[in-house]
Amino acid sequence: MTQINRLGGGLVNQGQTLSFTFNGKQMQGHPGDTLASALLANGQLLVGRSFKYHRPRGIFTAGSEEPNALVHLRSGAHQEPNTRATVAELFDGLTATSQNHRGSLEFDLMATTDLLAPFLSAGFYYKTFMWPRAFWEKLYEPAIRMSAGLGRLSMQEDPDTYDKGYLHCDLLVIGAGPAGLGAALAAARSGARVILADEDFAPGGRLNAETLEIDGMAGRDWAAATIAELAAMDNVRLMTRTTVYGAYDHGTYGALERCTDHLANSGGKPRQILWRIYSKRAVLAAGATERPIAFGNNDRPGIMLAGAVRTYVNRYGVTPGQRMAVFTNNDDGWRTAADLAAKGVEVCAIIDTRDAPAVCDVPGARHIRNAGVVNTVGRKALRAITLTDGQVIPCDGLAVSGGWNPNVHLTCHQRGRPEWNESISAFVPAGDLPPGMAVAGAANGALTLGAALEQGRNVANAQIEDLGFTPSRDTPPRAEDEPHTGAPVWHIAASTKRAWLDLQNDVTVKDVKQSYREGFRSVEHMKRYTTLGMATDQGKTANIPALAIMAECTGKTIPETGTTMFRPPYTPVPLGALAGRARGREFRPYRLTPSHEWAKANGATFVEVGNWLRAQWFVRPGEKGWRDSVDREALQTRQTVGICDVTTLGKIDVQGRDAAAFLNKIYANGFAKLAVGRVRYGIMLREDGICYDDGTTARMSENHYVMTTTTANAVLVYRRMEFARQCLWPDMDVHLISTTDGWAQFAVAGPNSRKLLQKVVDPDHDLSNEGFPFMACGEVTVCGGTPARLFRISFSGEMAFEIAVPARYGNAMMGVLMEAGREFNAVPYGTEALGVMRIEKGHAAGNELDGRTTAYNLGLGRMVSSAKDCIGNTLSRRPEMNLPDAVKLVGFRPVDRTKKLIAGAHFISEGKEATMANDEGWISSVAYSPTLGHSIGLGFIKSGDTRIGEVVRAVSPVHKTEMRVEIVSPHFIDPEGERLRG
Amino acid sequence: MADFTLTATPPLAGYNRSFGSVSLKAPANLAIVSIALPLGGEAEAEKAIKSAFGIDLPEIGLFNAAQGETSMLMRLGSDLAFVLFPCETPDAEPRVAKKLKGAAYTTDQTDVWCALEISGTGSLAALERICMLDLHPDAFKVNAVARTVMEHMGAIIARTGEDTYLLLSASSSAKSFLHAIELSIENTA
Amino acid sequence: MIINHPLLGPRDAAEFVYLGDAALIDRPDWQAKDAAEQFHAYGYLRDNPAGTHQELWYHEQGDRSWLVVTRDTLTHEITDVQIARDVARSRGRSA
Repeated sequence: MTQINRLGGGLVNQGQTLSFTFNGKQMQGHPGDTLASALLANGQLLVGRSFKYHRPRGIFTAGSEEPNALVHLRSGAHQEPNTRATVAELFDGLTATSQNHRGSLEFDLMATTDLLAPFLSAGFYYKTFMWPRAFWEKLYEPAIRMSAGLGRLSMQEDPDTYDKGYLHCDLLVIGAGPAGLGAALAAARSGARVILADEDFAPGGRLNAETLEIDGMAGRDWAAATIAELAAMDNVRLMTRTTVYGAYDHGTYGALERCTDHLANSGGKPRQILWRIYSKRAVLAAGATERPIAFGNNDRPGIMLAGAVRTYVNRYGVTPGQRMAVFTNNDDGWRTAADLAAKGVEVCAIIDTRDAPAVCDVPGARHIRNAGVVNTVGRKALRAITLTDGQVIPCDGLAVSGGWNPNVHLTCHQRGRPEWNESISAFVPAGDLPPGMAVAGAANGALTLGAALEQGRNVANAQIEDLGFTPSRDTPPRAEDEPHTGAPVWHIAASTKRAWLDLQNDVTVKDVKQSYREGFRSVEHMKRYTTLGMATDQGKTANIPALAIMAECTGKTIPETGTTMFRPPYTPVPLGALAGRARGREFRPYRLTPSHEWAKANGATFVEVGNWLRAQWFVRPGEKGWRDSVDREALQTRQTVGICDVTTLGKIDVQGRDAAAFLNKIYANGFAKLAVGRVRYGIMLREDGICYDDGTTARMSENHYVMTTTTANAVLVYRRMEFARQCLWPDMDVHLISTTDGWAQFAVAGPNSRKLLQKVVDPDHDLSNEGFPFMACGEVTVCGGTPARLFRISFSGEMAFEIAVPARYGNAMMGVLMEAGREFNAVPYGTEALGVMRIEKGHAAGNELDGRTTAYNLGLGRMVSSAKDCIGNTLSRRPEMNLPDAVKLVGFRPVDRTKKLIAGAHFISEGKEATMANDEGWISSVAYSPTLGHSIGLGFIKSGDTRIGEVVRAVSPVHKTEMRVEIVSPHFIDPEGERLRG
Repeated sequence: MADFTLTATPPLAGYNRSFGSVSLKAPANLAIVSIALPLGGEAEAEKAIKSAFGIDLPEIGLFNAAQGETSMLMRLGSDLAFVLFPCETPDAEPRVAKKLKGAAYTTDQTDVWCALEISGTGSLAALERICMLDLHPDAFKVNAVARTVMEHMGAIIARTGEDTYLLLSASSSAKSFLHAIELSIENTA
Repeated sequence: MIINHPLLGPRDAAEFVYLGDAALIDRPDWQAKDAAEQFHAYGYLRDNPAGTHQELWYHEQGDRSWLVVTRDTLTHEITDVQIARDVARSRGRSA
């Protein structure tokens, strides 16, 4: 097929030919074409099937408001559904397929749906598929999904990449039509930092689509010259293919830049960029969208908005038909007829709803006054139209103009409501704009060229003057105002056939009337009941005519009827762009422990702990499952010595004259009297008395403490300490800084831990029990002078130390410790063995500090000092939190030792029913103890500390199991603590 | 003589890569020590800093470089500054503490951070993809420093030249940080 | 949102962490006779105004300062930002 509808001229480069396929059919176009203009050039008027009725549909607009011409673009994993052909830039090798039909586009098997239309009116979904209930998911929904809908996903992973970015400017100009260009030029010449963003690949807006003149030049030439000037200025960032889709707080705007969508291959670069634009001021120059007039069968391929017809003729050098008719209620439609005629296209008739003289002379066209179109003929392509007086006019294209609606969308993103402007019969922005925004040109109701230019310039100048810039004194561009009066007509009442309002959602005038009859009269209700204004176009061409119909029904005016709320995004934003880089492994950053490389080389399996990757266990040859590794690591540690990287625990350096007093406020137990060179275990409460973190703090010198927090709460503890320091005790001299990443810290635990460390710590440091007893700390050197910190603390219950070296030495230190430990058969252990040993020892961890438990529940009630103020102290003393039958942390073991305890099981006394009322507590942590040879657990049970030896039932309704368990001391090993003090 | 020796392996040691209009490298042996000004002792601390490094403590959001640019003193908060200087040995903090003679609180931050220097005409375009701050030369001049967040990672950015920036981020996530910067450069190259 | 930091200038709210009502600065005296009641009110009772609200924001990805931000909860307009430490002192929290 050749380009039978190509006229020549316009902004396409006809010297170069691009090949593309539509539904497998080879076609040709040129650089500068959109898929839509190229399809029209090739005479492909039928491009899709409608959402509900599977009606044949064509191209309706020439912009992002397109409701009909949605296609699958590209193929395979790159296939993207619901792409608007009207904004898809043509490239060589483009492949597109039509959507929403079974069988071919020409013979859609689902087209019979159209015959069922009487049963598929507004709300049919809610009324019809009510019962039986069992059919909802299995029958109704799949059937509806199959027959109704838009495009299909590729069902493959998106092979493209996306990025995000941040931009700053004094003035953001949204839209590069006449108003936007005028605004950007004025602001840029004053020296302000300007971003000019336009959704189109060819900036210029309607100037590219019209034959109007500025300063005696063709509008498009003026646009090109202006853009060239702006592009050459350092203080201007010109962003084409960029849609500003949302206006957010404080001058922040969201914008989507389509970087490679117009290329056959992205070349490995991000396909799209989601920009966050920080502006001091903004000018919205988003133009206007033409609206249709509703009449019988007004949805046929070949029926198009009149302004879009001008775009195709003037910008793309394409005519939608060979014998065109124009149907208008305003002057603007006449220009379509004139422009068509000027290009030599036959214009057979201009049907004007007004009883008014011709606006201009259009050779060969009949002017039919005071008339309307009531029906059309031609299923897959328009063949003729029928007028109110019954006459039938053969034609293959109909341009419809119902007037223009300013694109006020972004003015409403912060709850602004537009106001009705009677003179243009449209909503225009009201005063309640997002802060910093001003509106110019057609978006502000200035629908003529001269007015738009002037307004763009004046509004921009006012905006930048506000910022302290002096507007330039250059001569403003001038243009005439074209005729633009009109008289609103929303639908042709004489039409007896279905008249479409929303082409995308197949909503007709009748549906809106039915919505009214059934009580859905608020526009928001009507929208949801009829689905008008939903999906990809958000009703850009449909909303206002529908409001007008609802207003007629209710007897109210259109402003009284109101509009639905416009929310971001202005046009669809792909989820891939919103995700940006945050996919797969890049969902979030990873933190690696200093010994990560050593662990990787030594069989570690890693576990994600927050952002950290920690060694969970180290597999040795012959081990069949994780339990083999973990049991070995725990046993070997208790028998000789084990080494674990514990760097992930939060470390906070606390310094200052008031450091001691400050820690007394932060910790529930006292720290002021802690001796230099000693470590103390502390618990932290929330102000409500709940225990939220624990850890050890070492006093390195009089005014210097080193605190450790749990891995999970490192950030939270720091934050709360800063709050206490700045907001609660602002005149304490205390300073905090995180050193978590600065020190590689290793637990060295087990009976041989001292002997091992004596080989590594330089010999002038006394590690004997007398010289360095349990809970001692100090600065030492290792391996011949490397500074280190040593702490005699134990999480495992064994004699243990933690040794910290500057993180850069961490990987080497792990190797050194293992090497030094070789003679003791030292073992590296991971987080699982760490957990097993702390449960065996009865130490609380995150499972126990779960945001519900107090020090009293944890058996640490006596640690909460009554002699001092600390965060959480007062409320922790509330009587209700200190009842005798409160849950207490104790240990549990199965009566039948071969059974496995289940974490999360709840305790019920023997002989009682397993109900909420009889619930006495829960198991918080379980492990297999290789030391004891059976399953053990920690948990909370009412008055637990007084019930040692009692047997209760541990019931897990989730697992549908229960078992008898014995309450025991939480200290399964070494309850007297002899090992750790040895 | 000790039986064992420790080799330092900072996470980005030796990294140096050119991407056309952008170069990215990890400065070697860059020591960082934090200096906290005691409450009520700010004036004395500032004096001590001046005599220790020969440069004034700058205003918040700026850094001062000593002669020969071997040292940077960056003011990160009303009572917090970082001093950066070349130092191969793990004794940066005691060195600074000695110079300040107890007039301020010092903490070694060398191993807390990883550092990358990005330079070249494409630097700004690359940073626009991950840095939400306004880095326009009028808004973020040479000698400006700010603490912010990039790709969910806390970061410090300092403009050390027309087209050169020093970036600091947590050493534990150094590889993720490097990847984020590299990807930004590749995406804008 | 943009918070105009008194020391650093305008910064994206993404750098901040929100806490809540700036009344959290006014931590009661633990030795007061009715300390339990006061702490209960301090911990649990909040005004939830539709309009101007003084609230605490923490510049976690910045200079680590706590700020008292006066924000309209309906429009997000921010009319005042102060260093919380100064506010705390002015409210008599100097020990």
